[in-house]
Amino acid sequence: MDEKYAVRGVFEKKGRAVFISHLDLFRTMQRAMKRSGIPVWYSQGFNPRIYLNFPLALSLGVEGCAEIMDFEITERQPFDEMLGALNNVLPDGLRFLSMAEPIGTNKDIALAEYEFDFSADNLSGEDIAAGFEKMMLLEKIEVEKHSKKKGTVLVDIKPHIKVILSECLGGNFRATVVLPAGMELNINSNVFNDAFLKYSGINNLKISTKRTKIMKNNGEIFA
Amino acid sequence: MIKDKIEKLLLQVKTPSRYIGGELNSVVKDKSKVDLRFAFCFPDTYEIGMSHLGMKILYSLTNMRENFWCERVFAPDVDFEKLMRENGIPLYGLESLEPIKDFDFIGFTIQFEMCYTNILNMLDLAGVPLKAKDRTELSPIVVAGGPCVCNPEPLADFIDIFIIGEGEEVNLELYDLYVEMKKRGASKREFLEAAAGIEGIYVPAFYDVTYDDGGRVKTIEPNSPCANPIVRKRIIKDMDKVFYPESFVVPYCEIVHDRAIVEVLRGCIRGCRFCQAGYIYRPFREKCTDTICAETKNLCESTGYEEVSLSSLSTSDLSDIENTLEKLSEYTEKERINLSLPSMRLDRFSKELMEQIQKVRKSGLTFAPEAGTQRLRDVINKNITEDEIFRACRLAFSGGYSAVKLYFMMGLPTETDDDIRGIADLAVRIADLYYQMPDRPKGRGIQISISCATFVPKPFTPFEFEPQASEEEIKHKQDILLTALKGKRYINVSWSKYKVSVLEAVLARGDRRLGSVIYDAWKSGCRFDGWDEHYNYDVWRSAFEKNGLDMNFYACRKREFDELFPWDFLDYYVSKQFLVRENKTAHEGVTTPNCREKCSGCGVSKCIGGPCFG
Repeated sequence: MDEKYAVRGVFEKKGRAVFISHLDLFRTMQRAMKRSGIPVWYSQGFNPRIYLNFPLALSLGVEGCAEIMDFEITERQPFDEMLGALNNVLPDGLRFLSMAEPIGTNKDIALAEYEFDFSADNLSGEDIAAGFEKMMLLEKIEVEKHSKKKGTVLVDIKPHIKVILSECLGGNFRATVVLPAGMELNINSNVFNDAFLKYSGINNLKISTKRTKIMKNNGEIFA
Repeated sequence: MIKDKIEKLLLQVKTPSRYIGGELNSVVKDKSKVDLRFAFCFPDTYEIGMSHLGMKILYSLTNMRENFWCERVFAPDVDFEKLMRENGIPLYGLESLEPIKDFDFIGFTIQFEMCYTNILNMLDLAGVPLKAKDRTELSPIVVAGGPCVCNPEPLADFIDIFIIGEGEEVNLELYDLYVEMKKRGASKREFLEAAAGIEGIYVPAFYDVTYDDGGRVKTIEPNSPCANPIVRKRIIKDMDKVFYPESFVVPYCEIVHDRAIVEVLRGCIRGCRFCQAGYIYRPFREKCTDTICAETKNLCESTGYEEVSLSSLSTSDLSDIENTLEKLSEYTEKERINLSLPSMRLDRFSKELMEQIQKVRKSGLTFAPEAGTQRLRDVINKNITEDEIFRACRLAFSGGYSAVKLYFMMGLPTETDDDIRGIADLAVRIADLYYQMPDRPKGRGIQISISCATFVPKPFTPFEFEPQASEEEIKHKQDILLTALKGKRYINVSWSKYKVSVLEAVLARGDRRLGSVIYDAWKSGCRFDGWDEHYNYDVWRSAFEKNGLDMNFYACRKREFDELFPWDFLDYYVSKQFLVRENKTAHEGVTTPNCREKCSGCGVSKCIGGPCFG
């Protein structure tokens, strides 16, 4: 079998690109790879495809500041050259920040940090902050989780929520929160948002969500 | 700003990336530096419109000119339309996210009769008066082109200018005229009068139509000295020199034809008598192998697509096809690009062609015999013999295929019950052939899908005089086919809905009086009439009743050869005498050779000033 070398890229997904779904992102990146001329490795078999791996999917509508994409190349190339070649052909809102040889494996991903910006008509940042306090003081924060095996079950996410920072900015309330991510236990940012809508008692809440970090169990950045 | 408003709403709708623009290769210009803004509207969803080649060509062509800016606009799906209306968001262009009512032109490409209510709906969403007479300012001018405008009359109330024929030259002539007249402060009327002087431009307001007691068209006459009694279509002379895009806008979401498309030829030599495209796109013109290869490479490199399709009405009629495929595959194989060849004629299907198609990835096989018996295939001039059908199937089966899709039509002129039984008979014999072949795919049974469309007579075809079969007749034919296929579980059969086909037939050969029917149907909520889940036949029927018009008059009436048709003032190069002659020949069951074999005297060579071949 021919030589191949693994590459891990870190990219951002912002602006109009937040409306690209995970499946569409896959296709978009494959086509960008093709245009870039990077000697990317194709999966073998009946339908050879450009091999890409996104270890942690990002929900539609969520901005990503440091998302991960793994791929393989068949000839060694300087990382900064590949980075430039790919960024040259990417659509608006998608941009690679770095490329390097991977250190960990996907299994090392355990946590993700999010920045939630909440606002609502006729409510101040402080009002929303109060709703957030109210939720965090509850003994249990139960949300419905859907799985193929068990169907819909109630899960208490409270023990898994780690609030790093909460602050009022103008009319907004911002919470920086770490949630479990990865294969062991995954709490999607939408699950957190649903819980907030349910327990804060605030209607017509506007939420903008940003994933800022993907981390290992010890809090180190996954790379 | 529209952008802020829609961003807040997009997460509530299906596939939001359709509504926000920003795709790779989309063209954004500085609006203060352009003389003309054009909203290119496709009256169906993004997935359908983004697959359409004509739009890609004209989008790139217009944007090549520094002082013009063309943007894309599609019909929003019903979920987003609702939110747009609730939140006061007008229809906008995907490049600037600005309202198209402020553009100079709003242009529609009309590919399908069943999208007419979408055109009205898009104008309404844009906040523009629907009727041409109610738009008194110079801008926006509403224009329309595409195959359906070969009978533009049902839309005459709503459109300022119809562009007849191919757009690559006439569009730019029209825009240049507009820019010049806008600078001079011309009125809409003055602009339309000047535009009517350009060959290929039809301004419906400059014509009056009268009807006889039976409701047939009596006269079509210009009411302005600037309008020509006959409007002739435009064509491009040299396919190797005509503009072709070097890049396509690459969508995020999956669209119907998600690949690079290279147009290899225009027109068709075949003359199948039911096929409108086979007549309105004449003469036959093709690109040479070098052009096709260069365009393929450009497009694949600029888009990153890993599939390219060679597009035309009949790609196997490319005279240099073997050489083209060989040269192309040198590039596509190296780059792992899948070559897809739609529209291959079954009589040109060869082992080499099949191997070419299969080299990268294997797709399904579809053949279109169109009719079940040789007699009826001769009537429609399909010019395919049963031997050729079996030869193609034999090749496919030994090449590893075990599923075949067969396209037929129902309700063709002169069709008998025996012709319908012939469809079943043909399918059964194809299955027999499969099981007789020792080298058929091991361990697999055959799957045959029969798909039957109801025949819709179209303008500018030899069958433009023919009645469409009635609902009872079609039902009877379907029963016969089902009976003949009873117990044959390896054959599945499907058909188009009659109630859709009948409206298509009405609109295809309709006159100006249908304008108020379309308006009333739209007003009562009709849109996306080509989509089963949205189509509402009963609403359409009441719209006809309200206007005192009968669908059967348009769909199921046999026309005499000397009747004046609503589209007869348009010159598509094909003469009416020829269509009459072909109609008579059809009823005699006699075929006409293809244009390469022998010129059939359709009138095209007279228009282009010499023979089409040689």
